[in-house]
Amino acid sequence: MNRDLSQTNEPAKSDSERNDFYNSLISEVGSAGKIEVARDSVSEPVIRSWCDAMSESNPLYINQDFANDSKHGRIIAPPAMLQVWTMSGLHLGNQFQRNTEDSPSAGVYQLLDEAGFTGVVATNATYHYDEVIKPGDLISASQKLLDISEEKTTAIGVGHFVTTETIYSDASGKQVGSMEFRVLKFKPGTGKKNEQAEQKPPRPKPASNSSTDWFWDACNNKELRIQSCNDCKNLQHPPAVRCLSCGSVLLDSITTSGKGSLHSWAIAHYPQVPAFDYPLIVGLVELEEGVRLVSNITDVEPEELEIGMPLEVHWLDVDNEFTLHQFKPIHDEKQESEIENTETNNNNQTFNGDQNNSETKSEQRHVSKLDPETVQIGDELPNSPVPITTLLIVSTALATRDYQDVHHDPKAAQSKGMPDIFMNILTSAGIVSRWINDWAGPEIDWNSIDLRLGTPNHPDDTMTLSGSVTEKTEHGNQISLVISFLGKNDRGVHVSGNAKILLPENSKEA
Amino acid sequence: MSTNFSSETAIVGIGATEFSKNSGRTPMELAVEACEAALEDAGVAASNVDGIVTFSSEQNFEIEVARNLRIPSLSHFSMIPHGGGAACGTIGQAASAIFSGSANYVLCYRAFNERSWHRFGSGVQDKHGGAEAFDVTFGWTSPFGLLTPASWVAMFATRYMHLSGATSEDFGRVAVTDRGFAATNPAAFFYERPITLEEHQESRWIVEPLHLLDCCQESDGGQAILVTSLERARDLPNPPAVIASAAQGATDDQQAMRSYYRDDISRIPEMKLCADQLWKNTGLGPSDIQVANIYDHFTPLFLPQLEEFGFCEKGEAKEFLRDGNIEMDGLLPTNTNGGQLGEAYIHGMNGIAEAVRQIRGTSVNQVENVENALVTAGTSVPTSALILSQDH
Repeated sequence: MNRDLSQTNEPAKSDSERNDFYNSLISEVGSAGKIEVARDSVSEPVIRSWCDAMSESNPLYINQDFANDSKHGRIIAPPAMLQVWTMSGLHLGNQFQRNTEDSPSAGVYQLLDEAGFTGVVATNATYHYDEVIKPGDLISASQKLLDISEEKTTAIGVGHFVTTETIYSDASGKQVGSMEFRVLKFKPGTGKKNEQAEQKPPRPKPASNSSTDWFWDACNNKELRIQSCNDCKNLQHPPAVRCLSCGSVLLDSITTSGKGSLHSWAIAHYPQVPAFDYPLIVGLVELEEGVRLVSNITDVEPEELEIGMPLEVHWLDVDNEFTLHQFKPIHDEKQESEIENTETNNNNQTFNGDQNNSETKSEQRHVSKLDPETVQIGDELPNSPVPITTLLIVSTALATRDYQDVHHDPKAAQSKGMPDIFMNILTSAGIVSRWINDWAGPEIDWNSIDLRLGTPNHPDDTMTLSGSVTEKTEHGNQISLVISFLGKNDRGVHVSGNAKILLPENSKEA
Repeated sequence: MSTNFSSETAIVGIGATEFSKNSGRTPMELAVEACEAALEDAGVAASNVDGIVTFSSEQNFEIEVARNLRIPSLSHFSMIPHGGGAACGTIGQAASAIFSGSANYVLCYRAFNERSWHRFGSGVQDKHGGAEAFDVTFGWTSPFGLLTPASWVAMFATRYMHLSGATSEDFGRVAVTDRGFAATNPAAFFYERPITLEEHQESRWIVEPLHLLDCCQESDGGQAILVTSLERARDLPNPPAVIASAAQGATDDQQAMRSYYRDDISRIPEMKLCADQLWKNTGLGPSDIQVANIYDHFTPLFLPQLEEFGFCEKGEAKEFLRDGNIEMDGLLPTNTNGGQLGEAYIHGMNGIAEAVRQIRGTSVNQVENVENALVTAGTSVPTSALILSQDH
């Protein structure tokens, strides 16, 4: 159902109609679905795909030798994959068929869909990890509908919160973990935030012709190219049809370093064009190669602008077919080193969904452990900025076997009331777990994690993770920690919550 | 480059509509009214007009204006590109046509509803997608939100401030002077509405470093000017405003509004080219100018113009302004009609009319003993300038 239909053509419901509808919904509460057995047993390839997408490099999940020497004696599945194993997977043609028949939440979702609550976002998840899951385990899930809220007005729309509990078991029937999961089923187009986002048209695309298409094509490949003369090596911008220095027709282009400095700037406040956010910083960037171009300056406050400040290019995917260069300040190394360093690895390391970088990244990550003696309440985890890209959102959705269209299809996401595709909650859990593993070391045991989701992560967002130790408990030789965390993007808090981990018993000797 | 017809032609008629934010009539009505007023002022019948020169953005084409004015035939007509930068160029090309013999009486005009119809400063966000060269130039700026004339000028302003040390208050001095003159000009949109420097500083940002009061406001209105030979002018009722020289300029790596790729973007080389021609053709220099109309669609670019004409050294316009030199009792009273900022934004044509009044001695803010008046046209585009002189 599209937004206009749900918003305007549907007659307003009376209170009694609304009550009847709600009563029909809550009559489903308490119902349990039959046991859902995973189609496939836990396997290393699926684990590796998940680790690739999440940039998880814990050797316990991917390195046979390391895992063999560990207390587990073999590779184990990341606990954050708990939910993945019984995901229904891809059903082309009728992708909800399986759910509709089997799970109690699906029946409620269908009722809500029919009533116009077609949008869906996950809002909370709490995972308890009871047993380590290993390749070969066959996981089954049993879902129970815990609660359906009355109609609520939320930022993204009017809707009902649906809470379920799922118990995961292995083939012997032993419980390996559980999940309490809450989603908001909402009417697209009924939220304030959402209306603004939907009305936001794309930026003006550059007018171009066959003399300049190469420049924008290069941008789409995230390459900043400048016209060059094959005869006299002159560089020029904007492109021309002759060399402006020697008149040659033998024009080519070079790839620039993408680095430069701020030559001048303007901060637009008015008039405001809906495609942009204001105040809008536009800079004249002088590239290292000596040529200037106009771009946006991002990641900087207006009062921090300084002519001559060093800048580097980054890229904005405006839509599927159009990528635009942007520039941001290069922070000098001195500033970087001021960020507090601990013995552990990956301080302030940029998480990157780009597969090409993941190998380098994992090489940089050293296998290390926290010292259980010195870690204390109040210790902060290193901040970790996570650039959210379309690639990251889509690859993690697929790696978590989540084929909901809102995680890969922008049009579908828009029709369901979101401005663009957004990251799924399994990925939020996966990334937070990865970050905590990076900090605490590979051989920690995971007890539980709970997440509350707020502002969605869309392409071009950067989510910065931060957190600290809020509890430290000693049980004999074993120490457990609770880490409270926060992942914020430019629009607000994407995720917050707590994770409980157990530090390895032998880590004192290590 | 030099013109050898210095002082062979003159402006003999000026005419304008009222300046407003909503004229309540069509731009064609404004154009015809302004031309009729200029002809009446000159004491010349429309049937004598045989040339029309206007400039781009003008939507009232010369043939339709001629039809309405019952001008029987046109032997010279042209439209100069680049909008406000061409204002003085229209007078130069009219003078050239008259000197060459291709016309005897040439009307130059601008008329529009750039406020009540399509707002001129609202931005080019919808102007993209074409493959023609001019459309493509917007591709280098529009996707980044640099969409309005104010935003294009702001980029120059920041650089100029950085290199010269000029401040927003220095820009404000231009606005305060303009509005001061406008306050005593009944024809000005801002008649009796002067501003203070504090009000300038407190006005909201449009595009930093430009405040609201650094920007002229779109206007509805029309202004027409009639040019003929000095010989004929001497037989007409008004004292001739002799066209001592008029010049156009476009220079290295010139772009429309966004010449950001030159070595020094704090300068206006195309205005320097105009200045060089004017001084050369007339033998005059900065100290020979008693009154000026310096284009002020946005205050920042007022400053480097003073420098290009040599009224002060490069980077020293701020001191020139701080010393009060553009005020009535200063070295160079400027924009005595209120300028584009205070009287109306008629793309510079009203500034030429004010220079004519200063030569005739009929300005509401008349400067004493005016021999020569300088007028400049729109900056950051290919531009133009002229000097009007007394007939001796």
